[in-house]
Amino acid sequence: MHSSDLHPLAESNQETARQWKMDSIIGRILQAGVLLSLAFVSIGLIWNHLAGPGAPLDEHFAGTNLFQIVAELFKHLARGPVQAGLLINLGIAVLMLTPYVCVLASAVYFGGVLKNWKYTLFSAIVFTVLSYWVFVR
Amino acid sequence: MASFDLIFPVAILAGFVGAMSGLGGGVVLIPALTLLGIDIKHAIAVSILAIMATSSGSASVYVRGHLSNLKVGTFLEMFTILGAPLGAAITLASSMRVLSITFGAILLGSWMALIFRGRRRWDESGQDGFTRWLEFDGRYEDRAQGEMVHYKARRAYLGGPAMFGAGFIAGLLGIGAGALNVLVQDLVMGLPPKVSTTTSSLTIGVTALAGTSVYLAAGLIRPMLAAPAILGVVLGAFLGTRLLVRLTNQAVRRFFLIILLILAVEMIAKGIRGA
Repeated sequence: MHSSDLHPLAESNQETARQWKMDSIIGRILQAGVLLSLAFVSIGLIWNHLAGPGAPLDEHFAGTNLFQIVAELFKHLARGPVQAGLLINLGIAVLMLTPYVCVLASAVYFGGVLKNWKYTLFSAIVFTVLSYWVFVR
Repeated sequence: MASFDLIFPVAILAGFVGAMSGLGGGVVLIPALTLLGIDIKHAIAVSILAIMATSSGSASVYVRGHLSNLKVGTFLEMFTILGAPLGAAITLASSMRVLSITFGAILLGSWMALIFRGRRRWDESGQDGFTRWLEFDGRYEDRAQGEMVHYKARRAYLGGPAMFGAGFIAGLLGIGAGALNVLVQDLVMGLPPKVSTTTSSLTIGVTALAGTSVYLAAGLIRPMLAAPAILGVVLGAFLGTRLLVRLTNQAVRRFFLIILLILAVEMIAKGIRGA
């Protein structure tokens, strides 16, 4: 077989291998985000249930955008003991951060590993627009 | 306002029926929550958040299985994340009655899309220049057939703007609009059903985040409502999906589709009555 026959095939296989690696990374981020979020929400709900009727959950979030909520969560964590409501809010924040982090990871991988500038630009656009929305108040 | 003890079982049921019917948890969760006395705007806000959990959860499996196409997903997200916040903003300004009727009508439409879905053959003729530029091709392993399937998409110039509409509906009604997503990717862009279904799970999470942000800013997302709903819908969808792979009987699926039809008519009637 001539090297010219082999080369494009080998290159396309390498490209596919890199893309499949990206699939694995994005899939793992999604999986970790959802499981972590569900774990926080579940523990928070069970804790709240065990605490009895005298421990109502928060009616509203402390903040009107994702970053305010995350900032408030860290302030609470630094200030005092963890409470059931705090865990639930943390779970919801992690859930919202999951697709956001995925888009960021896509942009980094498209640019850093695949060197696909078209899709680096596209995912950067998605990330920028999403950032705008999650900052909306 | 309804308590955890009511929301949790209702959300499990919604996730279960959503998975069994193939229309997703949101379309069942919203009418079910309104039946518990929660107003439709709060129900929509909670639902769009819960959808993020179910779609990201299933996408995690599909992406790792190399079924979802990340390039197609990224391109389409550029359109859905503009549509979803616009839809959500319109919901905030709309009356409850109009929302009920619209929800019922869209549910009816998705229902019909689902019924007519399998009646079309996917063909791979003629990829246009723009879609080729977007590198919309790929391959996946069809485990049932035991072979690699190569595919090329078409008409991305129509698919993108059409997905703005799908994102708009998702943000407006707090649903994943999976049926609409799949319809665009199947019919307009000619993607194989396996790729369109799995890619839409991926885009729904991102779309839902854009819509959720608007509801969050409006103070419509309450942790005490959202937490049991998220957990319940995920649990119900998980059970439904597990059961679905064991079922070969189409009659069971038809039964759940009839439930959805009743829910759609009920929402329209509710809107007309003004309740």
